[in-house]
Amino acid sequence: MGVTRRQLLKFSGIGMLGAVIFAGCRIPDREFIAESPVLIPEDLVEGQDAYFATLARPSTGVESVLVRVMQGRAKKVEGNPDYPMSRGKHTAQAEASLQELYHPDRIATPLRRVGNRGSGQFESISWEDAIDELQSKLNEYSGNPGSVAMITEPLRGALGTVVNRFASNYGATQLAFEAVDQTVVRAAFKEMFNQDRLPIADVQNSHYVLSFGADFLSSWHAPLHYNWQYGEFRDTDSSKRGTLVQIEPRFSMTAANADTWVYINPGTEGVLALAIADVIVKEGLGDAAAMITLGDVIATHAQPLATAADVTGVSEAKILEMAHDFAGHQPGVAIGGGLAAAQTNGLFNMTAVYLLNALVDNVGKKGGILFNPDAPVKDLVSSAAASPLVDFQRLADRMRTNIPNGVNAVLVHGADPVYALPGGLQFGRAMMEHVQFIASFSNFMDETTAMADLVLPDQVPMEGWGDDVSDPGPGYESIALQQPVVMPFVDVRSFGDVLLATVEGLGGGMTRGLPWNTMKDAIRANAQELYKLNRGSIQQYPSFEEFWVGILQRGGWWDTKAKSKASTKAKIDKIPGNAVPSFSGSVAEYPYHLLPFMSHAMGDGRGAHLPWLQATPDPITTAVWSTWIELNPNTAKGLDVREGDILKVTSPKGSIEAQVYVNPAAPPKVVSIPMGQGHTEMGRYAKDIGSNVMSILDAVSDADTGALAWGATRVKLTLTGRRSRVPKFEGMVVPRLLDPVGEAGAGTPGGPLYKISNGKDHE
Amino acid sequence: MAVEHVERKWGMAVDADKCTGCQACVVSCQAENNIPLNESDHFLQRRAIQWIRIERYWEGEFPEVKARFVPMLCQHCENAPCEPVCPVFATYHNNEGLNVQVYNRCIGTRFCANNDPWNVRFFNFWEPVWPETLRNQLNSDVTVRSRGIMEKCSFCVQRIRRTIREVTREGREVVDGDVTPACVQSCPTNALVFGDLNDSDSEVDKLRKGGRQYRILDHLGTEPSVYYLSKVDPHAVTEEAHA
Repeated sequence: MGVTRRQLLKFSGIGMLGAVIFAGCRIPDREFIAESPVLIPEDLVEGQDAYFATLARPSTGVESVLVRVMQGRAKKVEGNPDYPMSRGKHTAQAEASLQELYHPDRIATPLRRVGNRGSGQFESISWEDAIDELQSKLNEYSGNPGSVAMITEPLRGALGTVVNRFASNYGATQLAFEAVDQTVVRAAFKEMFNQDRLPIADVQNSHYVLSFGADFLSSWHAPLHYNWQYGEFRDTDSSKRGTLVQIEPRFSMTAANADTWVYINPGTEGVLALAIADVIVKEGLGDAAAMITLGDVIATHAQPLATAADVTGVSEAKILEMAHDFAGHQPGVAIGGGLAAAQTNGLFNMTAVYLLNALVDNVGKKGGILFNPDAPVKDLVSSAAASPLVDFQRLADRMRTNIPNGVNAVLVHGADPVYALPGGLQFGRAMMEHVQFIASFSNFMDETTAMADLVLPDQVPMEGWGDDVSDPGPGYESIALQQPVVMPFVDVRSFGDVLLATVEGLGGGMTRGLPWNTMKDAIRANAQELYKLNRGSIQQYPSFEEFWVGILQRGGWWDTKAKSKASTKAKIDKIPGNAVPSFSGSVAEYPYHLLPFMSHAMGDGRGAHLPWLQATPDPITTAVWSTWIELNPNTAKGLDVREGDILKVTSPKGSIEAQVYVNPAAPPKVVSIPMGQGHTEMGRYAKDIGSNVMSILDAVSDADTGALAWGATRVKLTLTGRRSRVPKFEGMVVPRLLDPVGEAGAGTPGGPLYKISNGKDHE
Repeated sequence: MAVEHVERKWGMAVDADKCTGCQACVVSCQAENNIPLNESDHFLQRRAIQWIRIERYWEGEFPEVKARFVPMLCQHCENAPCEPVCPVFATYHNNEGLNVQVYNRCIGTRFCANNDPWNVRFFNFWEPVWPETLRNQLNSDVTVRSRGIMEKCSFCVQRIRRTIREVTREGREVVDGDVTPACVQSCPTNALVFGDLNDSDSEVDKLRKGGRQYRILDHLGTEPSVYYLSKVDPHAVTEEAHA
């Protein structure tokens, strides 16, 4: 049988169709995977990077970090996994130090003022001219050296040594400035335990933490280390999970994370601590020996339980519960600071709080309070306390006085007293009008630098040499090192190097105790001393150079066995100061108690110029880029205001404006405003944003230490009639499949947004 | 291109009991992933970009008040609702369990964002702008996304790739702890744990079977790869009260 051409084509067509259909029945699996046929950039890019250990120095505390550097540019900050205070972790503030390095508004060269003081008119000059001018001014005033004031941040390590010796050789008046300092806590430890250095609470090993006002997870000293400890404290195994009780008049981030938050009337923390101590003694719950030693002091100062409950606003039942829990869950630790210390009776409060630790004999013990020993090198400053407010008051008074008792010159580094001192002091005005010569070593045009006649911009930590004796440390000797990880981005020099370069031209014994040409020389000389010890984290190296590389690689040196040998027994025969606080402003005229607090991201304002920190939501309100005032819902209702209304907040010393944020956790009769905003300088990201709450604080201080009582001003609120929306994260995300957060804080049925366990339901 | 068969399935455990709401992860992510600067206006327009964010929920009012923190990021779902709706396959599921966004394919339909119940996908309404000096910090491993396209948490895929390259060079396998996204690395309390869910020895696998685990919007059946461990509150009445 023959096949026609038509049939051939037909069979071929059917066959081909069949083949296609047959093949189509088995499509390879991978054709259904919408895999990218090309590698995306994240797959492809591979540059040579390097990690260097150095320090970040945000206002919340020094952190040892590793910086990832690619092609000479710093790209990323990560916590140093070796250094005991960092443990591979870092804070948002340390991360933002990258933006400080590459900030568009950094001071790029030395500057000399050309316009009127404060006009912001400067000319660029060379470093040689700048140092010459500094030398000539210092020579000019050398006949009256006390008329030269050096204001720095509290300085530790080698820079502390250089600055202290420079000031003492010259005879200058030296002050250390910190807007929110630890003066009162230090004084309490000095009083009771003769300790100069800040101790560390061993939270990670505690079963029970009783915190009086110390916002240790956010802004109290060493928040990074305390956060790490808190992670260990909240052990995944709930049977070992510690309990945190936060006693504070404000609902802080630490209060939000506490198992129990106890509201207390501001400034009465000492009364509460003594009431707890009294219960422990009377019921014999404490350490037998300690109860005998401390029993009389406690009995003398403690108020009857009913009175204490009345004064503090904490119920008798709650006081008894806390006393039983604290004594019954040892090791436990009591810590105090923050608002509890920032009162006119701060030292009374802190002494009473830390006395609780002595009463249960947990000082120097695991899970209790650990002392920090001094660094084992004589040329390293281990502890640097801020000067109390009264010292700045005296300085401002001297500025207004004529020479010889007046002030000719101010040298300022790492401090912005014009912005951050309480407005009641009028410090900026005194400096502006009466001081002949102001030199600033700041790398940003802050409010103090804007008044300067000469600006000698410092390096940021990633550009220069430095070190730090961790304060507080981890309970043993620990020194962190800072090395340059990138070339200076602009024409800046390290503050220490400039001082060392200046001493040669000053003569008259200025080089005494300062044998180094640069900070690097000083730091290497100290490292030689460490090398000779031949102990600690880096030891048994055959040569110093290898040791030097070793400590630079690991970011420092520490010795876990080198602990404090100081006596852990409290020596105290009376509790200093007043039990009852006093406040600026009468209750009748100023009905609200103002509780300023350090901004979680920007601290006391030193981080306000960094856009990452401005845009970091406040943990509680989620507000950003603004100054807000937290009001209790009923207070807001009484004032007939809602979120976004702008209130005028007036204290006896001035007024500012702030946007209302109605905070369901805000207690009535107190209002909270974050620090950190309201800069009139500080570059494009900080200038003219929000208000500076420090400007309305009265210059009242703790009666015993003279430290600023920044929680002791009362205010009144008036409506301005204006309003604007609060920039905040809250409400930015509208959950479509969830109920808006409301009654139960939950999501749709069957779909919880979050779950709470009582810690027992899964065991 | 042939698809390499990989046994790994990346996932994360978030311990809400350890999260303090400190925002270290948020800023760390922004530094690592070249996220545009979030200015005040971006918040007011509800267009700020945070690949990981801390959500804060109120319970009650003073004095009986609680604030709960929930870190929220792309859940890298096994059955991701955002993937099938993309008309150009700009988002897809890779063979390591990642929900991946291919920026140069994205045409900005925003269908994925519309289908994303967690609100963790972000649209670039503007061309991202940094002052010239701040551009020095940008991570050269990560694409800067231009105006008109979507972006989201990638579990720091560039870090995963880098680690795999490095361990391959060292002639060994990836082990638990080798890969840490930027948020996990920074988290001071170790509330975030990242690892291979298919590795029964990994910490993340142990945590997701530890007893407190749950997944947010689990009832939707999308099989998220992010497991949450419930907040422990000794004063909580029952778990159901919040469900």
